[in-house]
Amino acid sequence: MRLEKLMIKCIAIILLVHTVNVPAIAATQVLERIEVYPKAVQLKTKRDRQSFIVQATFKSGITQDITKDVKVSVVDSKLTRLDNFTLYPVADGKTEMHLEYQGKKLTVPITVAEAGAEKPISFKMDIMSVFMKKGCNMGSCHGASSGKDGFRLSIFGFDPDTDYQTITRQLSTRRVNLAIPEESLMVQKCDGSVAHTGGQQFKKGDEYYNIIVRWLQAGTPKDPGEVPTVTKVELSPPNGVMDGEKVQQKMNVLAYYSDGTTRDVTSLSYFSSNNDNSAIVSQEGVIESKNRGEAFIMARFDIHTVGSHFVILPKDLKYTEPKLPENNYIDTFIHAKLKKLRIIPSELCTDEEFLRRVYLDIAGLLPTVEEYHQFMNDPTPDKREKLVDDLLNRKEFVEIWVMKWAELLQIRTVANRVTYKSMTRYYNWLRTRVENNMPIDKMVQELISSQGGTFANAATNYYENGADTLKTAENVAQVFMGMRIQCAQCHNHPFDKWTMDDYYGFAAFFSQIGRKQGEDPREKIIYNKGSGEVRHIVGKHVMTPKFLGAEVPDLKGRDRRAVLAEWLASPKNPYFAQNLSNIVWAHFFGKGIINDVDDVRVSNPAVNPELLHELSKRLTEYNYDFKKLVRDICTSRTYQLSTKMNKTNESDTRNFSHATLRRVRSEVLLDGITAITQTRNKFQGLPLGSRAVQIANGNTSTYFLTTFGRAKRETVCACEVSIEPNLSQALHLMNGDIVNKKIKDGKLIATRLKEGVSPVEIFEELYILSLSRRPTAKELGTMIDILAAKEKQQEQLEDVFWALLNSREFLFNH
Amino acid sequence: MANRRSRRDFLQVGFAGGIGLSLADFFRIKEAQADLKDYKTVEGTAKSVIFIYLPGGMAHQETFDPKPYAPVEYRGPLNSIETSIPGVRFGELLKNTAKVADKIAICRSMTHGEAAHERGTHNMFTGYRPSPALLFPSMGSVITHEYEPRNNLPQYVCIPNQPNVFAGTGYLSSSFAPFSLGADPAQKGFKVRDLNLPNGVTNERSTRRRSILEAVNNHFVTKEKSDSLDAVDTFYKRAYSMISSQKAREAFDLEKEPAKLRDEYGRGTAGARMLLARRLCEAGARFVTLTYGGWDMHDNIAGSMKRQLPPFDQAFAALIRDLSQRGLLDSTLVCVASEFGRTAKINATAGRDHWPKVFSVILAGGGIKGGQVYGSSNSTASEPEEDALTVQDWASTIYHCIGINSDKELLAPGDRPIEIVKGGKVRKELLA
Repeated sequence: MRLEKLMIKCIAIILLVHTVNVPAIAATQVLERIEVYPKAVQLKTKRDRQSFIVQATFKSGITQDITKDVKVSVVDSKLTRLDNFTLYPVADGKTEMHLEYQGKKLTVPITVAEAGAEKPISFKMDIMSVFMKKGCNMGSCHGASSGKDGFRLSIFGFDPDTDYQTITRQLSTRRVNLAIPEESLMVQKCDGSVAHTGGQQFKKGDEYYNIIVRWLQAGTPKDPGEVPTVTKVELSPPNGVMDGEKVQQKMNVLAYYSDGTTRDVTSLSYFSSNNDNSAIVSQEGVIESKNRGEAFIMARFDIHTVGSHFVILPKDLKYTEPKLPENNYIDTFIHAKLKKLRIIPSELCTDEEFLRRVYLDIAGLLPTVEEYHQFMNDPTPDKREKLVDDLLNRKEFVEIWVMKWAELLQIRTVANRVTYKSMTRYYNWLRTRVENNMPIDKMVQELISSQGGTFANAATNYYENGADTLKTAENVAQVFMGMRIQCAQCHNHPFDKWTMDDYYGFAAFFSQIGRKQGEDPREKIIYNKGSGEVRHIVGKHVMTPKFLGAEVPDLKGRDRRAVLAEWLASPKNPYFAQNLSNIVWAHFFGKGIINDVDDVRVSNPAVNPELLHELSKRLTEYNYDFKKLVRDICTSRTYQLSTKMNKTNESDTRNFSHATLRRVRSEVLLDGITAITQTRNKFQGLPLGSRAVQIANGNTSTYFLTTFGRAKRETVCACEVSIEPNLSQALHLMNGDIVNKKIKDGKLIATRLKEGVSPVEIFEELYILSLSRRPTAKELGTMIDILAAKEKQQEQLEDVFWALLNSREFLFNH
Repeated sequence: MANRRSRRDFLQVGFAGGIGLSLADFFRIKEAQADLKDYKTVEGTAKSVIFIYLPGGMAHQETFDPKPYAPVEYRGPLNSIETSIPGVRFGELLKNTAKVADKIAICRSMTHGEAAHERGTHNMFTGYRPSPALLFPSMGSVITHEYEPRNNLPQYVCIPNQPNVFAGTGYLSSSFAPFSLGADPAQKGFKVRDLNLPNGVTNERSTRRRSILEAVNNHFVTKEKSDSLDAVDTFYKRAYSMISSQKAREAFDLEKEPAKLRDEYGRGTAGARMLLARRLCEAGARFVTLTYGGWDMHDNIAGSMKRQLPPFDQAFAALIRDLSQRGLLDSTLVCVASEFGRTAKINATAGRDHWPKVFSVILAGGGIKGGQVYGSSNSTASEPEEDALTVQDWASTIYHCIGINSDKELLAPGDRPIEIVKGGKVRKELLA
């Protein structure tokens, strides 16, 4: 919040210091098209107005704000007045505006209605908009839960009725002065005539001042009757590519109301940039480019946040599009985006790197020595694809995804709620479904609508993680739609579209869950009570169940959860497939296309929305068989890129132009060490020799697993699985009983020496086992002493083994 | 490309670069600084903190705030005794602590509104009310963020393990996480995990391992670049410096303490943990968190207290005496806290239930004025009567002793500046 405010000040300073000169587009740029925003103008009532902008797109993809260079003419100038690229109503009627630039022409239809009529000032439409624009109701100002300096507004304006009361009735006559409106405290605080902790917010006579004073002059009316609501907000232009620093682009915000009118709300919108290192935006809505990169420019008006995507390139950047093969649609979308950014992706990774990566990612395993040689010696050109297919058919692939689902569904024992037996049944319920490749939509529908005993129908354990209705609703939104709607429990989400109505309407689906004791004391029964409601915290009215971002369904005689399940896990809910695809993608790239995967919101846009859309479309067409999606991902060229970066992509962290290092997750790391030392583990409830990925219970762990960040499944947050390093991990690998003991217990080196295998061969085997590669000549050189040692041969080779398992290369998937 | 640089990074780049700053940049930096509330963190009166946490919600009536004149259903089944502060009484099971009462500050007016364990715990570890939008860092992690390590020891240590998620880094980076012992010092043959070379590995062999490790790493490190890789590197370096510093390792070795002193503390979990905490602070650790017992006494409070309180009493009194005799009490802040107190009236199962409205906490040493009772509860110990002590003020006072102005802002993700404690005031009356 504060940052954006800071930006306003900064821009003011920058404008003072620099004379901003818009660099001319190089003569070599060839014009492709021009576009005007808005495409049609509606003017209604006397005070209405509409500004417009014109954007040129050149063949190179670069765009420019050409509003000031366009030849403009209005056909019938008796109907409308044109001043500073803004149209004002004069007389009712229809006409057109013609625009021309370098031979390209556009026509904008104009409609003027009620040109002489005055529209009454509105508290909700006008005054609340000024509060939002000026940040008065933000958390750091009067929106704080205790208000600021004795004056409290509802945060982000979620409760206009109370705000109205506060201003007009609280401390009566203090804030408003109806006799001399200009001397009302709410005016004087803001225009700088009396001290205000929040500083001067507007000047005498400016637009905001006039709105407030007009409302005071009118006697602070509270809107009579229905006030039209904002149905949609549009930010234009929707995107742009800026050539070099200090290029400007004016933005335009248009609001659509429920009564069919539109309104130019550019001056009432709150602007922000998600990357002020690349582009900043002023509160007048003017973007200025800075360093190379991408920026998402957002405008907030009423409860709507909308954004436009901008790419900022170095001035006159030389770029030749590389001729790259495309394995499938994923590469097509990734290359298209990289082209926009003028980034050349890395080269393909080596066969050794691919082998290790794909084993770890698909199966959670390291390749054996035989598997290594088999793949490396395979001369066929499609061997990578073949390997992906082989791995997808292994049971270890299923196990990885059972584990990931068990995290999302929080499979664990819960004191006094989920017994060990229930938990085991719940896990088996999940495992049989993933094993049998049940379509994910069917599985989720079964889960969400589940009823019955926690033994008999173990899916019901999902509702035994906690009995809080609101928390259950929040978890469902986060896991199956990728959205954190918690904010809307107390106020309308400031950076997203969710309002408190959406929140409580969604929570109402879970208000009728009944719980009772089963016959077996370890079993609970989940049933539909058929009664129980959720109330909105403002006004305490009962909420009708409403799908998040969609309609109010017909619930007649049905279990609310069953109705929700049919919508939630279906193509009717656009977020379901998108969220699943994103989760799958993130598993293979370490980052989602929307990142974090469970933080989907307007202000956290997808870096490649077209790709995400295509992935979700395909997943739906595959009948929610995510295995097919995994195949697409792993056979794409994008997945197979090297971690080695080039000059153009070294600063890219989001667009998948190179592979990134990912620390191997705890379970897979332990299983890897166990397998290559040829030892076995015993975990609670599992036979000796089981793998850590097979552990059913979130509460079953070992020191190793906990230290390396295994999820306890206490929350649904994707952040529970930690791959962050810490001091204990380093100490444990160096001195702990895993690496040291397993090397000793497995006796791999002693056995090999006894078999008469030469030290060099053992050395090579250790490298292939741990790092899936042969040692380099240099590495062989530095360790020549060890290999030629006459004494303590075994001990020295064991030290090599220790070093390999402690190496950075071993810890990371690369 | 879209890697978003935080404001802090920006400032560092700006200053480190030194050149190429335009006037606009200069103003911008000035503005950014002015915008983020920043105060210099100094060495305060408390060079280290021992944070003794009693999970479950310790009843104040049976411990530090008895009501001997209240009707029996309020007074409870236990009696009270005199302390070394005239007129101040403790529960009868605190007979050792009663003798050191003149060295500690007993705060009887602690108050907040969270009656659920996890929410109350969040309050007491972070100084913040839980928020659905943001996880706050624990005091220990904030201190790790603010200070450099001393004598090769981790700044923030948890005995035996990080007790709950709120004792972690919250929105701060994972490099500020506590170092957890991973073993209980009261156990026979207690050793901190992985601090010593494994059996059969001599120093010489360890050196050889290290050089092979460097050779293996060399190939990868020259080829790859990543923050996460650098962090692993840092932790391996720290691990090596800890392992190779005998002093640092010995700080974790309880065997180095004389048997007589160990007996004075008691050989159980309370004694061993508090003694180890003292050892670590003496050696250079800055914030040591330890837990003892389970205090959620819904049933039979008398029996549970008789089992759990005496070892605490013995250890805590020994800790205060020991610190005082070593001249370390003035530079070591000892806190005793729990997520809340318990209901005024004894319930149907002879226990007490959750009650956050008023309860007692202890502060001692490190700049706190000993021998005082701060604030009071009403006659039934159900409401604060005088000087209600809020979580924010309590936390701010602790930070103040350490040398941190808790109004300072740290950057949470999304460049959100967040005060270390929001709106906390230092309670000057508590200070020496």
